Amino acid sequence: MRYALRAPTYVGMALVHAYRWTFGVLWGGSCKYHPSCSQYALDALRHYGLVRGSILTGWRLLRCNPWSHGGVDYARDQRLFR
Amino acid sequence: MILHLILLSPLTPIEDLLRHVLNWFHGSVGLTWAWSIVALTVTVRLLLVPLTVRQIHSMQNLQRHAPQMKEIQKKYKNDKKRQQEELMKFYRENQINPAASCLPLLAQFPVFIALYFVLREFSKHPPGGNLSWLGHNFVPDITAHANAHWSGYLLLAVYVASQLVSTMLMSSTMDRTQRIMLMVLPVVFVTFLLNFPVGLVIYWVTTNLWTVGQGLITRRLMPKPQAPERRSSRSPSKETEPAPAPAPAEPAPAPAAAPAEPRRVKRKKKKARR
Repeated sequence: MRYALRAPTYVGMALVHAYRWTFGVLWGGSCKYHPSCSQYALDALRHYGLVRGSILTGWRLLRCNPWSHGGVDYARDQRLFR
Repeated sequence: MILHLILLSPLTPIEDLLRHVLNWFHGSVGLTWAWSIVALTVTVRLLLVPLTVRQIHSMQNLQRHAPQMKEIQKKYKNDKKRQQEELMKFYRENQINPAASCLPLLAQFPVFIALYFVLREFSKHPPGGNLSWLGHNFVPDITAHANAHWSGYLLLAVYVASQLVSTMLMSSTMDRTQRIMLMVLPVVFVTFLLNFPVGLVIYWVTTNLWTVGQGLITRRLMPKPQAPERRSSRSPSKETEPAPAPAPAEPAPAPAAAPAEPRRVKRKKKKARR
């Protein structure tokens, strides 16, 4: 039952993996943050569920732009949802 | 179906926009559909040029700090995770903007998906007008699958070649496994691309060739003077004649001293962004 409720989250995580194995490798995407955006997405989804995890991931992706400075940034250190 | 919905709904505006631009190139400018795709691709890439310029700058910045980063990498050689973290910390402390960032990459992602849907609709409801490219004998129909005609295979070959070249051009910035993977994958992808409409392959070839061109220009622009500095830190390999004596013992000429002016050290303290 618990796993059934988490099904949407798993779908989201599967999507991230799908990205990793297609466009991720194709474009050689590497990230200025540690962990990388896709790893961050997986962590965020695992810990915060589909909705909050997706929001966190979206925010992270927006931060991963050419004008930011990168750095160490774990999903568990987020301050959006407390 | 769900995937379709998830992907499609936020993409509809992009799709509409792309369709409009395509239609404009075809209808108002008077290009064939195939050339409209090329023009659309070039437009998108042109819009991304400012990002590339920034990337070049940050690559130069990285080069300048390479010795210190090497040092960190050596220090944490056995702990990849720690190494990564320390490097990231170093980036932040030195206001280095690593070349890679996810957003520009992802910016191409929706464009590609949207273009895929636009072109798929093409093949379902072929629009009027010329659907061939470079003469009817070369690509008779850009809505047909790539494996329907020999020209499709030729385009795919060009795609693989351009992908390999662009991988080689940027190979200096990645590690071996990543490079090998990037060399092998295009070949794998070709098997999927065979079932894509030729128009999509045209897009892919165009954007790849653009990347190659950009890489070549970047290489030209990248100042090489950094090289001797790096050489002086260790490995006197190339400098055989001028320095035959075992000179490397002298107290390393302060690799950090490179830039003359202090290049504004701190901007605003840390101040906890986000």
